[in-house]
Amino acid sequence: MPWMPARRGERLTFATLLGLVVLLAVVPIARLAQEALAPHGKLDVGVLDDVVHSPAVWHAAGNTLTVSLGGAALAILLGAAFALLVSLTDIRAKKPLVFCFMMPLLIAPQVTALAWINLLGPNSTLLRALGIAPAPGSAHPLYGPGGIVLLLGLEQAPVVFLAVRAGLRALPRDLVEAAQAAGARPWRIVRTIVLPLMMPSVAAGGMLAFVGSIGNFGIPAFLGIPAGFTVLVTLIYQRLAGFGTSALSEVAALSLLLALIALCGLALNGWLARRRDVRVTAWTTATPEWTLGRLRGAVEGACWSGLFLVLALPFAALVATALVPAIGVSLTPRNFTLANFHFVLFDYAATRRAFLNSASLAATAAVMLVVMAVPLGYSLAGRRSSLRQAVGFVAELPYAVPGVVLAIAMILCLLRPLPLLGLSLYSTIWIILVAYLSRFMLLALRPVTNALRQIDPSLDEAARMSGARYARRVMTVIMPMVAPSAVAGGMLVFLMAFNELTVSALLWSSGSETVGVVLFSLEQAGDAVSAAAVAVIAVVVTLGMMLLSNGLASRVARGVLPWQP
Amino acid sequence: MKRAIRTFLISMLAAVLGAAPAIAQTGGKLVLYTSQPDRDAQRTVEGFRKKHPGVDVEIFRSGTTEVMSKLMAEVAAGAPRADVLLIADALSMERLKAADQLLAYPQADVREFPPDAYDKDKTYFGTKLITTGIIVNTQAPMRPKSWTDLLKAEARGQVALPSPLYSGAAAIHMAALTQNRAIGGGYYEKLAQNGAVALRGNGAVLNAVAGGQKMYGIIVEFMALNAKAKGSPVDFVFPAEGVSIVTEPTAILRGTKNPEAAHAFVDFLLSKEGQELAVSQGYFPARRDVKPPPGFPDVATLRILPVDISELEKRDELNKKRFAELFGG
Repeated sequence: MPWMPARRGERLTFATLLGLVVLLAVVPIARLAQEALAPHGKLDVGVLDDVVHSPAVWHAAGNTLTVSLGGAALAILLGAAFALLVSLTDIRAKKPLVFCFMMPLLIAPQVTALAWINLLGPNSTLLRALGIAPAPGSAHPLYGPGGIVLLLGLEQAPVVFLAVRAGLRALPRDLVEAAQAAGARPWRIVRTIVLPLMMPSVAAGGMLAFVGSIGNFGIPAFLGIPAGFTVLVTLIYQRLAGFGTSALSEVAALSLLLALIALCGLALNGWLARRRDVRVTAWTTATPEWTLGRLRGAVEGACWSGLFLVLALPFAALVATALVPAIGVSLTPRNFTLANFHFVLFDYAATRRAFLNSASLAATAAVMLVVMAVPLGYSLAGRRSSLRQAVGFVAELPYAVPGVVLAIAMILCLLRPLPLLGLSLYSTIWIILVAYLSRFMLLALRPVTNALRQIDPSLDEAARMSGARYARRVMTVIMPMVAPSAVAGGMLVFLMAFNELTVSALLWSSGSETVGVVLFSLEQAGDAVSAAAVAVIAVVVTLGMMLLSNGLASRVARGVLPWQP
Repeated sequence: MKRAIRTFLISMLAAVLGAAPAIAQTGGKLVLYTSQPDRDAQRTVEGFRKKHPGVDVEIFRSGTTEVMSKLMAEVAAGAPRADVLLIADALSMERLKAADQLLAYPQADVREFPPDAYDKDKTYFGTKLITTGIIVNTQAPMRPKSWTDLLKAEARGQVALPSPLYSGAAAIHMAALTQNRAIGGGYYEKLAQNGAVALRGNGAVLNAVAGGQKMYGIIVEFMALNAKAKGSPVDFVFPAEGVSIVTEPTAILRGTKNPEAAHAFVDFLLSKEGQELAVSQGYFPARRDVKPPPGFPDVATLRILPVDISELEKRDELNKKRFAELFGG
C-alpha cells in the first residue's frame, strides 16, 4: 500500500529540509568540482586525464578496495555473528559484552592505531617491560595491509552489529514460532528464516562498514604510511599536503574516483534491498532465546578472551607508553612518571579545550541532524522512490568524499563572509560544525529511512483518517516508531564526530582544536608519550560518557542505547 | 540601523585611540601560522605574551608544507588570515615574497645577525639555525659517520627519513644533498634501493628510531638532542660531508590586520631574550651574541651544505614528485 500524498504544511517543511540538504551537501561539493574541473571558469579535463593514466593512483585505488573489502568482510563476520549470539541465545552478561563490543567504534581510529602500534613491535613499552619485545630494528607486524584490515574490521564490526541487531529486533515472531511448531531445530531456523530476513540489515551494515573503511584516515595513516602502503585517502592527503592548492584539481579528480567506489557499494546495497523487500506487520519486541547448553561456558570464554585481546591489551600498552618520560625509555619503577598527563591536562591548554570542543561539536551535530532526519525521512517515505534515491545520493556525497576534500570544499565556501550576515565562519568553531552536519547527515538519515521502510503505512493512514495533522502525526505516530533507529543514528553521529580527525585537521584554528587534532599534532611533532597520554584520557572520557548514558538507560526506551541488550 | 551603530562605535573607537598616547600598548589579536612543535610554539607565545600581555595570539600548527597549503588556499580565496608566519625554511618565504604576500619590516633590528640569516629586502628573518643530520638508536650495530654510511648493507631497511611533502627542512635537505657534488646525484635513489622508508615529519622519524623500529634516521638536530636529553636511547651525528641548514624564518603578511602586534612579535623573536628562549628549547640561535645550548657544537665548527635557493625554486616541485615516486609520498 502506498503512503498518502502530502498536504501544504508538510510540503513547506519538506521543501525547507530539502533546501538544507542541498545547501549542506551539494553546494560545497559543487564549488569544489568547479574548482577542480573548471578552475578559471573554463572546462579543463586535463587533470582528470592525468589522474586516470597514473599507475600510482590505480595502485592506491586497488589498495583501497582490498583493505576496505577485507575490513568490511571481517566486520560482517564479527558483527553479524555477535548480533546473532547476543540476540538469539541465552549467553550471560549480555550488557557488559555488548558494551565492550561497541568500544572499538567509540574509540577514535587514530587512538586505536596508536594503541596497537604501542602494543606490538620493538617500540612496545609494555612488551619491553615484560622482556618479550621483538628485536630492535625488526619491522612492525601491523604495518601494511594485514594490520589495516584487522583494525578496520574491528572498528567497523559494531556498525554491522547495530544494523543486524536492529533487524533482529523486528524479526517476525510468528514465522519463527511456525517453524518451531513444525519441529525445526534452532540452527535450521537461523539459516532458513533469520538469515534471509536479515540480509537487508547485513547488507546495510556491511555497506556502512565498507564506506567507513574507504574514508578512514587514522588507521591507514598510522599503519600504511610507514610501510609505504598507500590508499586513496592517504594519497589524497599527501598530495594535498605536499603540493598544496596546485594539487586541488588533481585531488578533486581523485576523490571522484573514491566516490565512485562508494557508489558501487551503494548500488550493491540498493540491489540487495530491492531483492528482499521485507515488511513486518507490527513492532515485535520479543525474540526467541535459544539455549546454548553445555557450549555456553566455552562460547562465553571465547567472547571474553577475544575482547580482552583487542581491548585491554592495546589499552595497557597505551598506558605504559604514557607513563615513560620519552619514547624508547623502559618502564621501570624509577622511570615511571605522570609528567605527560600533567603536561596535557594542566600545562597544555589546547588539550582541555579540545575535549570540550569535540564533545560539544559532536552533541550539537547529533541533535540537529536527528531533528532534521525524522520529518525528512517521513516525507520521503511518501514520495517517489526516485526522489528518495536522489536525496540518499546527495546525503551520501559529503560522507563518501574523503574528509580532507570536504574540508577544502568548506574553506572555499565559507572563507568569505556569508552573503546576508556579513560574518565569516572560517577559523571559528562553526565551520567545523557545518562540516560535521554535512558529513554525518547520512548517518542520521539512513537509520530513519530504513526503519520507515519496515513500517506499514497503515498506522500513518489511520492517524490521517482520525484527522491528525502533520506535526501531530510526526510526534505521535512516526517518532515513537522510528525513535530507536533515529537515536541510534544520533549516537553514530556523536561517536563519529567525537572521533573525527580528517575534516577538522584542516579546519581547526587556535581555540577550536578537536581531540583528533591535538593527538595527531602531538604524534606528528614527535611527542609520542604526550600523544599516548591524550589517547588514554580520550579513552577514559569516552568510557565515562558511555557509563553515564548507561545510568540514564532506565529512563529511555529499549533499544535506544546501542550497547543496551 | 545596525550599520549606523557600527559606524558610531568605530568613530568612538577612533576618537579614543586618537586621544591615547602615541606609545599605546600593543593589543588585539595576532594569528600565527607555524611549523614549530606544539610545546615550543606554546612556550614561544607565552614568552611573547609576558612582554605584551594585551595581545591574544592564535596558533595554527602543522608541517611547513601544510601550513603553506592552508595559507595559499586562503590567498586563492582572497582572504589570508595569518598575521605572522614562523616556518621552517626560506624557500617557502621566497615564494610568498614572489607572490607579493609579505610585508617588509625595514626597522627590524638585525645588527647581531649574519647577513645570510635574513632577506636583504627585510621581508623575512631567520630566527634559528636548524641543521639536519643523522639520528641513531644506541642499540644500532653501526655508528654512521657520513651520509653515504646510510647506503651500507648494515643500514638496509633500517633508515627512516622525513618527507619533503610534509617538512620544509626535509625539502631543503633533499635539495642540499642532490646539489652536492661530493655526495653525488642519485643519493635518494640509492636510499630507496637500500629500503629506506619515508615517514611524514621529523617527529615520526624520532618515534621510529627512538622506539627501535628503525636504527637510523635523517632528522633535524633539536628533536634528536632533546629526546636524548630526556633519556631516549638515541644519539645525533653531524655527518662528515656536512649538514643542511634551515633558518626557521619569521615574516609578516601583507594582509595583517594588526601590524603593531606583528612587529612586536618579530622584534621579540629577534631579541636577545627571544633567542635565549629558543636556546632553552634546544635550538641553535641565529644571533651571534647568544650561545648555543649545552652539548651543541660551536656554530663556527659546523660544516654546512650550501643550497642555491633560486635553483631550488625551479627544482622543488620536481624534487617532490621524484621523492613521491621513489618513496610513495
